[in-house]
Formats: sequence, C-alpha cells, structure tokens
Amino acid sequence: MDGTSRRTFLRGGVALAVATPLIGACGQSAGQGAGGTLRAALVGSGAAETLNPFAGATTLDFVRALAVHGTLGRVDPTAEDGVRYDVLSAIESAPDNSGYTLRVRPDRRFTDGSKLTARDVLYSLNFITANAQTAYSRYATDLDLAKARIIDDLTLVLPAKRRVSDVRLMLCQPYVLIFKDGTREFTPATPSCGPFRVDTFEAGRGTVLRRNDSYPGTVHLDAIELRSIAAEDARANALRGGQVDYAHDLAPAQARTVQGDGRFDVQQSAPPDVTGLGVLLNMSRPPFHDPRVRLACKLAINRQAILDTALLGRGVLGNDLFAPGYPDSATTVPQREHDPERARLLLREAGATGVTVTLTTAPETPGLVPMCTQIAAQLSEVGLKVTLDERPPGGLYADYAAYGRFQMAATYSTPIPPLHYYETVGAAGNTFALGWSRPDVDQRVAAARELSGPARKQASEAVHRTLWEDNNVLLPVFKPVLNGHVRGLRGVRGGRLPSFAEASLR
Amino acid sequence: MTRLLITRTLGIVGTLLVLSVVIFAATELLPGDAVSRVAGPQADPVQRALVAERLGLDRPAIERYVDWVGSAFGGDLGTSLTGRRPVAEIVGDRLGNSLLLAAAVYLPLIPLAVLLGTAAGLGSVGGRRGRLIDRVISFGTLAVLGVPEFLIAGLLLAVFAVWLHLFPPVSMASIGGSVLDTPEILVLPALSLLIVSLGAVIRLVRARAADVATSPYVESARLAGVRGPALVLRHVMPAVLGPAVQLIAVGFGTVVGGAVVVETLFDYPGIGNELQNAVASRDVPVVQGIALTLGAVTLIAVLAGDLVGRALDGVRR
Repeated sequence: MDGTSRRTFLRGGVALAVATPLIGACGQSAGQGAGGTLRAALVGSGAAETLNPFAGATTLDFVRALAVHGTLGRVDPTAEDGVRYDVLSAIESAPDNSGYTLRVRPDRRFTDGSKLTARDVLYSLNFITANAQTAYSRYATDLDLAKARIIDDLTLVLPAKRRVSDVRLMLCQPYVLIFKDGTREFTPATPSCGPFRVDTFEAGRGTVLRRNDSYPGTVHLDAIELRSIAAEDARANALRGGQVDYAHDLAPAQARTVQGDGRFDVQQSAPPDVTGLGVLLNMSRPPFHDPRVRLACKLAINRQAILDTALLGRGVLGNDLFAPGYPDSATTVPQREHDPERARLLLREAGATGVTVTLTTAPETPGLVPMCTQIAAQLSEVGLKVTLDERPPGGLYADYAAYGRFQMAATYSTPIPPLHYYETVGAAGNTFALGWSRPDVDQRVAAARELSGPARKQASEAVHRTLWEDNNVLLPVFKPVLNGHVRGLRGVRGGRLPSFAEASLR
Repeated sequence: MTRLLITRTLGIVGTLLVLSVVIFAATELLPGDAVSRVAGPQADPVQRALVAERLGLDRPAIERYVDWVGSAFGGDLGTSLTGRRPVAEIVGDRLGNSLLLAAAVYLPLIPLAVLLGTAAGLGSVGGRRGRLIDRVISFGTLAVLGVPEFLIAGLLLAVFAVWLHLFPPVSMASIGGSVLDTPEILVLPALSLLIVSLGAVIRLVRARAADVATSPYVESARLAGVRGPALVLRHVMPAVLGPAVQLIAVGFGTVVGGAVVVETLFDYPGIGNELQNAVASRDVPVVQGIALTLGAVTLIAVLAGDLVGRALDGVRR
C-alpha cells in the first residue's frame, strides 16, 4: 500500500467511525413529522411470511391485514350493537334469528377504484372458510353460506343454520377480512379497501404501508413501517434505541422499564381484549377425575400473588372462567376465595396428599411460565407435588393429540365471546377440554346462544355458575397486552391487534 | 489438484446424502406434525385427511424421503408450511446475510488470530518476556472461552447500544434493501461472534506455532543465523498458516449456521435466526432445507480450507 492509498484508507476508516453513530442517529429520528411515518415492531413469522394473513397467522400478519383490508366491524362493548362497523353500516337480525341482513356502506372503494359490494363480502366469507384454519372460520359455524343471497350491490342476506342471536359478535371478529371478489393471490398490487395500502413488502423484515387516499375516513399517518421482530427483548430494545415508535406485546418487566423512561408510555389493553393465562386439569386422569382434588386446586391458588408476581401487578384477576368483558361474560358469579386450609382438607379426603403430578408448560406468551411456576409452588404448599415440565417456545401445542393427554397443561385464551369459546374449545370431546365431558352443559350453552336480552343473560350466568363449580380450569389471571410507544403517538385502537387507522404522531 | 477436487466433490455429495437421511429422520421425529400445523387445532378428521393429502403426508416416509432428496439435489427444497413460500427462496434470502456476517467476523479474525496465536506460540518456547506474552494471551483466550455467547452479546448490547447509543440494538435492515445499506447493524453481532470465535482460533494457532517453533526445520534456520521477524515471516508463519486456514475454515461453517443465539438476540436477518423461527413454528420443510444447506456450506468451507491450506503448504515447500 503506498502513502496515498494508506491515507485514503485511514481517512475512510475515520469517516466510517464518525459516520456510523450518525447513521444510527438518522435512523432514530426518521418518521417524526406532520402525519409522519409510524414504525411499529410486532411478532412476525420470518422469511416464510407472505401477504396472505391466513398463511402465517401471526400478530404482524393480522395487524397488517387490518390496516390494508376492511373488516365487517370490530367488537366494542361500548357501541350500540356491541360492535363498531367498518365496511358495513348494519347487521340486521330476522326477528326469529333465521337470518341476517348485512348492509354494505355505499362509500367504500378498493384501491383499483372499484366499488365494494355485497358480492365482495360474500366472496370474502367463502374465501376464509375455504382457505383459513378452522379457528378463523368459526364465525361461519352457525351460518349457511351456501344459501346466502345477494339482494343488490349493498345488501347481503345470510341464512342461519342455528337460530343463535350472537352472530353479529362472531362476524365482527378481526380475522373476518374483506377482499375483492376473485382475489386469490396476495401481492402489493392486490386491490384492498383498508386505510392503508401495501407499498413495499419484504418477507421476515417488514412492510411499508402508505395512506390509501380513497379511504373515506380521516387517516393522519402518511405511512406505517411494520417490522417483524420475534423476540420480546428485541422489540423493547428497538423502542428504547429509537429504531421504532411502537413495540407490541412487551413482557411486564420490560413494560416497567419502558414506562420508567420519560420518552415512552405503555398502553394496556382492557377486557375483553385480554389473554387468559391458566392451567387445565385432565379429568380423564387421576387425581383430577376426583372433583374434590379439582376444587382443592382452585382454592389453593392465590390469584393476587400470581398477578403481582407473574404479571408485576399489570392484569385482571381471574375466576376460573374464560372471556371477561363480553355481554355474556359472568358478572354475578362470586370471586373464588383463597383457602389453603380447606384445600389441604379436600386433598386429604381424596387421598391425594403427596401425590406427584406433572404440569406441562412453555413460553408461548409472556407470563405463562411464571404463572405456572407460581401455581406449581402454591399447589405444592397444600400437599400436591407438582413437577414442572417446561418445553421450548412452540412446544406446548406442537402435538395437539399429545396435549390432550397431559396431566396438567398450561393454556392461554384469546378474546372470543364466552359461550362461543366454550362450544369451540371446551365442549365435550374437544382435545383442549382435557377430559371435560358434560353433555348437559353443552346443551345449556347451545340453548343460551339462541336466547337474547335478559333471558340470555340469566341462562348465561347459570351456565357460568356450573362451570365455575365443576370445570377443570385454573384461570388465575388475565394478561393485558402491553404496548410501548413514544409519547407523541395518539389514537391507536385495540391492544392485541392494534389498528393504526386513527393514529397520529406529534 | 484436479483429481483431488473431483474426489473431494464426490465425497461432499456422499456426505450430503448421508446427512439428508439424518435430517429427514430427525425432522420426522420432531414432536408435532405438519398436518396439525396447517389444519389447526380444531380441524376434524376429514379436514386433517384433506390437508395430509395436499401435503403428500399420506404417503410412506421412504417415498417422501426419495422425493424430497431428489428435488433437493435439483435445487427444489420444497415449500414452507407457514407462508407457502419456496424454501429455496427463504434460504437464499437469509444465507447471503449470514455469509456477510461471517465475512465481517473473519476479516479481522484471521489476522488477529494468526498474529496473537503465533506470538503466544513462539512466546511459550521463548524467554521470560515471551512466556509473559503467552500467559497474557492464553489467559485472555481462556477467559473469553469461559463466557457464554449470550452473555458476551448481551454485554455488548447493554454497553454499546443501550448505554452509549453507538450502535443500534436491533439489526433492522432497510425494507427492500440490503444489509449493506445499513452497515452499522452488522457491528454488534459481528463483534460478539468475533470475541466468541477468537479465543478458540488463537489457541489452535498457538499450539501449531509452538510445535513449529521447536521443529528441527526452524531450529536449523535459527542455527543458520536467521533471527527475529525474518525467522517468523519466512519459516514459522508459512508452516502455521496452512493448518490454521483449515481450522479456520471449519469454524467458518460453524459461524454461518451456528450463530443462532447472536442472530436471535440482535434479530439479525440471518439463516440461524430463520432456523430458530422454523423450528418454533414446526415448519418442517424449512428446517430440512436450512439444515441441508448449512451442511453443504460447512463441507464446501472445509474443502476450500483444505485447498488453500495445501496451496500454502506448497508455497512453503
């Protein structure tokens, strides 16, 4: 190397050393302007990701889909019908619940300029049932889509298979997305009708969304950069390091650290937008086939201690019943007391004192393993020896058949109206019911879903009371979604699957 | 040389065939099945049967293996269960980034390891000052070898990203661009892997240098009056470099595929991170494709190391 080239090399090195932090700083300041670009980090599915939300079905897939595509509406207990409509103006039930009329808003257009019609809505409903996992097409369980009738461009009638009165809640789930009639491939060019459109997409790295100018509502943000960051530590670090403005689903400890930094706030979701963290007791295996052992377990649990320790106080106390916050959720069932003495007595009576059981868990969602650790310790204190079998992430549900055979299994619930949740997950014969088999309760749930008004509420409360007394569920806490964000961010709706349609950055 | 190249290439193909059997068998034994992954937990037996037929999983394992390995050697690694993307595309996206990271590690690692390893090796058979140099370097390498990878990476992240704000804590590359558009995202992952790898490579070079320094060949050069830098550069280094390159080549393959912890911690878009994602989501075709590709990369790196080592040996002779 001659003198000139060495000098050039050294200058280059110094320039790089100086420039590197500056480049980083430039990245940190991006996106803060009028309108501006919001940079958000969420869990995605790596380089296998596509723009088809049902292929990967991660949080990022659905948040992006909700920004790009329309929905029928979203559940909102404060709204008149219990839902806030999106591409619809109303869902009208026949007086005998024999069918539903969906009224499409006249002002919605796709990004290719075409009008959104009832035909697109029906196509989308059929697309989801044909292409998505059963979990995402459960909205259609009670509808007869084959006999659906398009009355005109803005009216669609869906006949009912069962005369249930809560189809509106099921139709307004976030995964009931609306696509243009004939959509088969999902690319940045695919017509969409949401507040944003796809500008750039790179699998596993992120998506740039731009404001959809044909969207009828007011959208403040110019663009959104959705980043796929799987590890929760990395999401929190990206926020604190100024690489993103919004970090989805932080663990409670990280949320506390982020909250302690004056630059950020933490948004906490409220019921029904909360995740139940629990343990299922396998009723087809001893010792949990004995109702005294199940009741002992429920009484041995110190729910407040679990909330304070596993979730650092951020959460909602559970009462061994799924899905709080919906109109059908239990409100009159008393809160289970913590009574370790009675738990000891019940275990002794059942001959289960000193029996060893295995609790299988995995870090599938923040707080699940700490909650199981607490439950194991508390049950051991009253005489049931609990061994924790901790699997790697993804290991809990890796083998669905094996899950049904676990003696005690960790579980977490997503927000679905409780009676529907019971029918799809908890009813007799379901793998996830872990031996629960009560045809009488199944029938009462089915009957309650056909009622409306005060009669429905009364029937629902009675079913919940039975479940509370007899079921095999320890559900001590509900975990809110904790989302960290910069102080200037406003208008993000929802916690688990946030919508940025009304968001703005100052 | 041509004969060697042909023999070794055939050896690589044979080894990959054996490896493919191991990979296929191992992924068959993974808990969970692809049908459950695709059909979902609430699918009924009819839906499960349809998915199994669509994925070809209703056929015997041997038939599926023959299909898979035949396609894989033709460049088709199958389709991801998660996003239904071709696995070859996924591997291609991520392998380049991991090779780039490995290059960023090995660019400083080779001169550092050769320099420090040779200094320690020569010092170990030298005078008091030489032994002191050897002790300092050996202690340093031992200390580094004793610290787990995640701790080194975590410390670097805490100091240089969270505390000093010198580098980004997460290796977020620009969307639609290259990792090289934002070279600063390479710094912390590369530094972590450099520190982790340096200790082992220095010790290997040191052992070789100590052997060479006491060899009759170097002794006779010394008796012939060759001393100091001339002895090191003309007689010791060429003898050290050949075997050192072979050892470094083995490590290169490990860094490309084995950087799972570091890539995950910094969320670096490399193949180790992708492998971790695929295992977590039970995306069997992606796991198989990545494992086979990493096997091929390691075997090719070893072959390249052998060829370079032989070339250096030839120069020395």
